[in-house]
Amino acid sequence: MKRMWKFASVAAAASMVLAACGGSDSSTDTTAASDTTAAASEPAASDIKVAVVYLGVPDDKGWTYQHEQGIAAAEAETGVTIKRVENVPDNADSEKTFEQLASEGYNLIFATSFGYGSPMAKVAAKYPAVCNQWATGAKFLLTKDGGGEYATFDDVPKNLGTYFGAAEEARYLSGLAAGKATKNGQLGYVAAFPIPEVIRGINAFTLGVRAMNPSATVKVSWTSTWFDPTKEKQAAEALLDSGVDVIAQHQDTTEPGVAAEAAGAFWVGYNSDVREAAPKAFLTAPTWNWGLFYAKTIEAVKGGTCPSDEYYGSMADGMVTLADPSELVDADAVAEIEAKTAAIKDGSFAPFTGPIRNQDGDEVLKAGEKAELGALLSMDYFVEGVLGSPKG
Amino acid sequence: MRAPFRLQFEQRTETPRRLGVLVPLISVLAALFAGALFLLATGHSVGDTYSNMLSDGFFSSTGITDTLGLSTVLICTGIAAAFAFQMNLYNIGGEGQLYVGMIGATWFGLFFGENLPSFIMIPLVLIGGALCGAAWIAIPAWVRARLGTSEIVTTLLLTYVAASLVNHFIYRSGSYFRAPNSMFPQGRQVPDSAMLSPIGDTKMYPTFFVIVLLSLALHWVVRRTEFGYRIQVISDSPRAACYAGISARRTTVQVMLISGGLAGLGGATLIVGSFQRLDPGIVTLGYGYAGIVIAALARNNMAAVVVSGILFAGLRSGGDKLQISTDTPIHIGVMLQGAILLFALGGEAFRRYKIRIVRTPAVGSEVTA
Repeated sequence: MKRMWKFASVAAAASMVLAACGGSDSSTDTTAASDTTAAASEPAASDIKVAVVYLGVPDDKGWTYQHEQGIAAAEAETGVTIKRVENVPDNADSEKTFEQLASEGYNLIFATSFGYGSPMAKVAAKYPAVCNQWATGAKFLLTKDGGGEYATFDDVPKNLGTYFGAAEEARYLSGLAAGKATKNGQLGYVAAFPIPEVIRGINAFTLGVRAMNPSATVKVSWTSTWFDPTKEKQAAEALLDSGVDVIAQHQDTTEPGVAAEAAGAFWVGYNSDVREAAPKAFLTAPTWNWGLFYAKTIEAVKGGTCPSDEYYGSMADGMVTLADPSELVDADAVAEIEAKTAAIKDGSFAPFTGPIRNQDGDEVLKAGEKAELGALLSMDYFVEGVLGSPKG
Repeated sequence: MRAPFRLQFEQRTETPRRLGVLVPLISVLAALFAGALFLLATGHSVGDTYSNMLSDGFFSSTGITDTLGLSTVLICTGIAAAFAFQMNLYNIGGEGQLYVGMIGATWFGLFFGENLPSFIMIPLVLIGGALCGAAWIAIPAWVRARLGTSEIVTTLLLTYVAASLVNHFIYRSGSYFRAPNSMFPQGRQVPDSAMLSPIGDTKMYPTFFVIVLLSLALHWVVRRTEFGYRIQVISDSPRAACYAGISARRTTVQVMLISGGLAGLGGATLIVGSFQRLDPGIVTLGYGYAGIVIAALARNNMAAVVVSGILFAGLRSGGDKLQISTDTPIHIGVMLQGAILLFALGGEAFRRYKIRIVRTPAVGSEVTA
């Protein structure tokens, strides 16, 4: 008898674990459900079928949420109804999802996570008429040299494009606000994984901070996850305990901000402007505006062409944005942010302009020299002023 | 106030044959009914949802081959769990052994793959993965046999360690498992000789048939061999086993090593199959935990695991595809999967216990507070 219950409870616990893995946040179901139904019941304004594949759910208030904003804006602009496919883990298993979309006649598919690249490329090769767009991707990574399957660039399916943007520009600007706000010159950064995208963001932020406060330091805490409210909060709390008075983040939830507010510190968010999560701490946030790219690509596919280039957006074209600084940001900092924003947009200023030294004090960029895109995309060192290891 | 009656569970000494068929059938029908209420309440078509789920999971040509492809690893983790459970050893850490099996299989593939032909490499990678899965359970097995330490706790906790290992091997720069030159941390693909091609234009690999044969072979081992007899005696009565001169310690270690090895083999089937590289994304899929449920549905019968593994895979695959084939949100697909499993497991109680309604005595034989 006893044994049976032990067994049943273990099995029940396991099935709950499964359910939890599949649908990460059941409390958000109802709104998502009704939205999708309403959208789908309207007649499509065009004969092309478009789908977007999400790693999480559209109301995570982070990465997926921001894509959802762009998708909704693109729907409004183009009149095309877009199918959302949610909670798709970004590994080999996702091939099934892309295959099903292709076989059900979707003409254009957006994939919003890095891990979708290889499965998406496989399906793209099999369905040459379907246009595929891979966010945060790079075709180099699909070639043998980059660790992928294809011998050369030319072998990568032509109906596959990538899109991403220069978040480092907005990161630098947010650093200006943070550098002015800190009182003790110690800042903390909750970061997901030690990869070039994240390292680049930490460096740009630090350069901005030190432009306002040359002796300030930025302490990095790695979480090994993009989305984990508890871990993100704990990492922020550990940083706050060590004495930092500003928290920045490369994470998908607002928990680091909640932790900062509780400790009376400031917060620089990421992905989207969700200042209401921690209004007493929020300074600003580097954000994304994906809608322009989505609308443009839908129009292109409607017109019969599939963009297959590697799109790298910027503040100039509007893909990368900075949330309006809150009233907590000092007026001097606001003026500096405005000046630098204009300079970044007209191309007269780039955050990664020498002289830049790495953590060991070695000069990596000479005075006046600008970092090239390739160097930005493969950045693996921390600049002076960052505390922590770029190897995780 | 006391209720006028209460439910009394009496263990059945023997389960009537008709219940063996009726209970699972009624459980599934009850689950579908409960799911239908939920679908109606949220304004989705019951008929469309169920027919799509069935056809995407089992009846369309891509549906059934996707399902059989997915079931390969699930049958592995299912027999891994069932093999240990039947001796009352609760190996909850099949998930972690699966990860380590993937790590091991990838290592064998990367290390030997360039020089050896495919017909040697595939078995080598599969066996390598199984050995590593077995190695991962060796310590829990040993402390369980020697000190009686709960294997539930040790195997489960080692799963978290295994997940960290997978992350470590991919995110640490310069790692042997990580693609060199790649700007983004991703696994290095194993050489062609360590990869199988899918069967035709499907997502099914020949490993499916190997695993099914292995399950049937294990079924035979449990039912017909001296080793299987030892397991039965120990699980029925450890004292009797001791009296008969059977070493429970040795058998405990053997059974747990085999269980861990089977889970590791599941990880290896992914490497020679669809994954082709160590991928930290495996930790979101829960294939190892699924094995526990699959074993429970099959009542720890090795041959029945094949059936429950395929059913589970179809349910999962069909449920996941619902959001594309219909406008049902993913959460409803996941909810239906969960409901069917929960009802099927809950139905077990009716098979094992006779449930009687007992009137409570009306007059105050007991004092009520």
